[in-house]
Amino acid sequence: MTILGICEWLEATAIAVLIRESLYGFSIVVATHILGITLSVGTLLWADLRMLDISMRGYRLSEVYRGLAPWFVSGFGVMILSGAILFAAFATSAYGNLYFRIKMVAIALAGLNALIYHVAGRLPTELFDAARTPTAARIAGLTSIVLWGAVIVAGRMISYTMF
Amino acid sequence: MTPTFASFFTWLETTPVARLIAESLLVTASLSAIHLIGFTLVTGGALVANLRLLGVLLHQRAITEVTGAASRGIAVGLAISVATGLLMFSSRAASVSANSTFQVKMVLLLAAAAFHFILHRAVTQRADVTVPVLRATGALGLALWLGVALAGCAFILFE
Repeated sequence: MTILGICEWLEATAIAVLIRESLYGFSIVVATHILGITLSVGTLLWADLRMLDISMRGYRLSEVYRGLAPWFVSGFGVMILSGAILFAAFATSAYGNLYFRIKMVAIALAGLNALIYHVAGRLPTELFDAARTPTAARIAGLTSIVLWGAVIVAGRMISYTMF
Repeated sequence: MTPTFASFFTWLETTPVARLIAESLLVTASLSAIHLIGFTLVTGGALVANLRLLGVLLHQRAITEVTGAASRGIAVGLAISVATGLLMFSSRAASVSANSTFQVKMVLLLAAAAFHFILHRAVTQRADVTVPVLRATGALGLALWLGVALAGCAFILFE
């Protein structure tokens, strides 16, 4: 089955039809998606700013990271779930949309960045809690901000170009 | 809407900047994207500041330490969102100013910003504030900013 074939199948599922045909379904899912982004990226940003020594310098990085993690992780959950529903409803046009593709690549790279940081950060705790954040962690923080910024911009562009 | 405001908004739409924005989808979309980035900063700061008062985030740390950093984030985010918001507003000032969802959004925004920079700040800077007062401030702050976010979503979707 081709990707386009999968998209067509997704668009025919009951949930996709419900979102397209109900009066408020689409609006509710979009609003949830935007709130999920502000919850996840809005809180993750503080961990990134701490990594860059821009804000909350008096804190240990691990403290900020662990304190914020439940919030940005649940935000990402909300965002991915609502995003998946929106994708199902408009799968074929999303698949052909340039900004949608940019957004997916940026999310994949942001996930990869987080994974590398998580694996690397777990080994020596100094990487987490040094007085001055090591360069590797700074790069991870900056990469995260840039990529999530790109996700938000591309996401906003989708709504201007797809409907 | 009084005639003075109405004619001002109509004039605003004829300014070169407003016309440039109105005529370019790319400029409008870019402004909208930056507007949302600013708002992400605001919401993130509001979450950190108010969840701390509710005692569910970074509670080992002094309140002023957390809310001070978060408030700077809110201020920077507001500056970005207000600047881009004004530019977008200028391109459709007459119709948008008459839109009831937009009016609700502006009232909530003013209420949330005033609450945060006056009451929330006053509460966090006093040493003799009881826990219930802190919790109530955090809950009200969260509710107001959530209201701004929901009104913003409603404005995008139903205008």
